[in-house]
Amino acid sequence: MLITGIKSKPVYAPLRADVGGRYHLMLGIGPGGIALLRVLAEMRESAPQAIANARLLFVPEAADATDTVEQFKQIGLGSMSLFDDGASLLDTFRTVLAESFMGTRLYVAGPESFIGLAMKIALEFDLNKDEIRAEEIGTLARRVYCVHCRTATEEVRTNIVRCTGCARWLLVRDHYSRRLAAYMGVMVDAEAPGELPPLKEIYL
Amino acid sequence: MNDAQTLAVEVAAIEQVTPLIKHFTLTSADGGALPAFSGGSHIIVVMRGALRMHRNPYSLLSSPHQLDAYEIGVRRMEESRGGSHFMHDQVRVGSRLEIAHPVNLFGLDKIARKHVLIAGGIGITPFLAQLEDLHDGTVPYELHYSVRSPEHAAFLNRLREREDDKVRMYYDSETQAVDFDGLLSNQPLGTHVYVCGPAGLINRVITTAKSCGWPDSHVHWEQFSAPPVGDAFDVFLARAKLTVHVPPDQSLLESIEAAGVEVPYLCRGGVCGFCQTRVLELDGELLHNDHFLSDADKARGKNIMPCVSRARCKNLVLDL
Repeated sequence: MLITGIKSKPVYAPLRADVGGRYHLMLGIGPGGIALLRVLAEMRESAPQAIANARLLFVPEAADATDTVEQFKQIGLGSMSLFDDGASLLDTFRTVLAESFMGTRLYVAGPESFIGLAMKIALEFDLNKDEIRAEEIGTLARRVYCVHCRTATEEVRTNIVRCTGCARWLLVRDHYSRRLAAYMGVMVDAEAPGELPPLKEIYL
Repeated sequence: MNDAQTLAVEVAAIEQVTPLIKHFTLTSADGGALPAFSGGSHIIVVMRGALRMHRNPYSLLSSPHQLDAYEIGVRRMEESRGGSHFMHDQVRVGSRLEIAHPVNLFGLDKIARKHVLIAGGIGITPFLAQLEDLHDGTVPYELHYSVRSPEHAAFLNRLREREDDKVRMYYDSETQAVDFDGLLSNQPLGTHVYVCGPAGLINRVITTAKSCGWPDSHVHWEQFSAPPVGDAFDVFLARAKLTVHVPPDQSLLESIEAAGVEVPYLCRGGVCGFCQTRVLELDGELLHNDHFLSDADKARGKNIMPCVSRARCKNLVLDL
């Protein structure tokens, strides 16, 4: 079965400011803050007025996050909200999108699973590729969608994983669904029950 | 597209709806149903005049849910090369015409959360067909329609039959104008804007949308250019091994067709890109008039859209 080399696996690029936008909505988790600070520094050079139209939703995470938050405070953002975890950030993100105007650019910096969930919400609001930018920073742990029982297993770091829904052993493929914001997991021992490949941590 | 694929239609009704616009109803010559289409589609009407043939694109304004007839609106152009005058002066109820199958280059975005439609003058026609799909109310929309004066407001009765609050009229004669900046500054995310009408209006909307931060993927426009009149020139068709003369009032595409060489086309108005042709040799300059090629491609001069573009040159060789 094809595991890697699948075209649907998202490709990310380092975040750049898009000053063609009128409003800038930024989402970040932990070390993603560094990428967002870089974008804001870029804005200060090319279009300083954009910073006042920037809104940040951020989850401070690591030990050095206080420093990142301090830098955000000093930069003159239009508004900043801090959250305890990605899920509560994304809840607020949805309400912010509902009241946002055309001309908004979205910047997402964090682990891929977080980017994927943010993109899924953005898609509900018909944001297109030319309105969204994302940079993958942090853990490579995957959301894995069981194609058999349709449960998503979170934070998967291994090549195979036991589905939290149906307990089948799933092979984690590069086949990615933007709609589900998850990689597809397929039963690995369907042909030969009990014969599992060695468990390896590969998505760290 | 070539003439073998056209449909024979008969003119069932003609109505003068404004001093400049005639409304034509076309039915299939064999009495059957016409091919299905979606709102925003156009047809090419083939007109066999006494001296020459015209093939002009016209948006379908009738409901996509009614296929017993197609309806088009034809504005009489002041500087017509003959097509709109033919439709206005020669075509009668009962006349036979040929049309090409409908093609949609201006469809509504299917996952948009809101549609803002902006029409100027005869540019109202594609929207009339689209409104047939929008009036079920699942996706919010608004239509802004500007015309010179009330007597020039074509198809107003059709609009008035719909919810009035969604349609806003602007009359130049009463110095009313669309506040583009106000209109495009506070639209909800997922809104798409569509504009059809004169070049000035289209450029205004594109420029304002950009300055309001709209990404290109949410801005849609359609304008069929009439092939402009220009100086005569000659072109050599490399594969046909044929020299073709292009007179001032005939387009490059029409001249090539008149010489018996077929070029695939869909819109004949510089929009679709179907007739794009490779330039093999050029001693002079290409006069690009299309909306398809990027500025960079136009500057490169390796391709031309023969439907609307011309050349000022001593030698032009095309890959045809």
